[in-house]
Amino acid sequence: MNTTTSVIDRLRARIGHDGPPVEAVVEAGHLMRFVEAIGDPNPRWAQEAPPTFLVALAPASMHLAEAEEYGKGWLNGGNRFEYFEPVKVGDRITATGRVADVYEKTGSSGSLLFIIFETEYVNQHGRTVARLRGTAIRR
Amino acid sequence: MTMKVGDEIPELVKHPTTRQLVQYAGAQGDFYEIHYDQAYAQSVGLPGVILHGLLKAGFLGQLVTDWLGDRGTLKTFEVSYRGIDQPGRPYACRGRVTKVDGDQVELEVWGEDSAGNRTTVGAATVGMKG
Repeated sequence: MNTTTSVIDRLRARIGHDGPPVEAVVEAGHLMRFVEAIGDPNPRWAQEAPPTFLVALAPASMHLAEAEEYGKGWLNGGNRFEYFEPVKVGDRITATGRVADVYEKTGSSGSLLFIIFETEYVNQHGRTVARLRGTAIRR
Repeated sequence: MTMKVGDEIPELVKHPTTRQLVQYAGAQGDFYEIHYDQAYAQSVGLPGVILHGLLKAGFLGQLVTDWLGDRGTLKTFEVSYRGIDQPGRPYACRGRVTKVDGDQVELEVWGEDSAGNRTTVGAATVGMKG
């Protein structure tokens, strides 16, 4: 078995298993730094999280050290958010991530490894506020 | 206000700088070196530091929420990164209505580099207030 196959097999063994939950409180100062970095002056974000803020609250992908044996760098392929309830200052959010899929694609410029992550965000009332699906690529 | 297919979302042009990438790295907690270390970025085959995909998603999120205001709520928002973008070049965010079904409106959104390439493409679904 070559290294590449072994990395993919080890990553595939993680599919469907939840990573450790990450808990974080939505802080006004953090929201302010986040929207300042985007350059979004909407006063609404003093109290409420803008569409992509959840990725700053908890990592959008699990750290998979073995994936770094493949290729030489990471690329973000895409992100899909689904929203159920607003996220406000003071909310205590628990994020739970899992690997949803792992596959390799070979094209004219070489091989790429795709890792699909899913994260579910639940608030202090036990309600799911959002879900995120992300595609991480090793090239 | 009634919406119809083809309605355009007012353009939002961003002027990202390396400083902004560092600011965003700190605010998101993404310290991958390709976003602020020129030598590192070049060592992995990039022309230099590049924008975080999620920063471009943040720009497109702003495009949608500026347009939507309090007329409705965002239900889904997705972006796909098709190309890299470097700081020091303008980044234009655009979009239009692709479907209107009762109080549910679908949009396509995209970000263009200064040569007009759509380096980020995406979509959003909003629920309009009745």
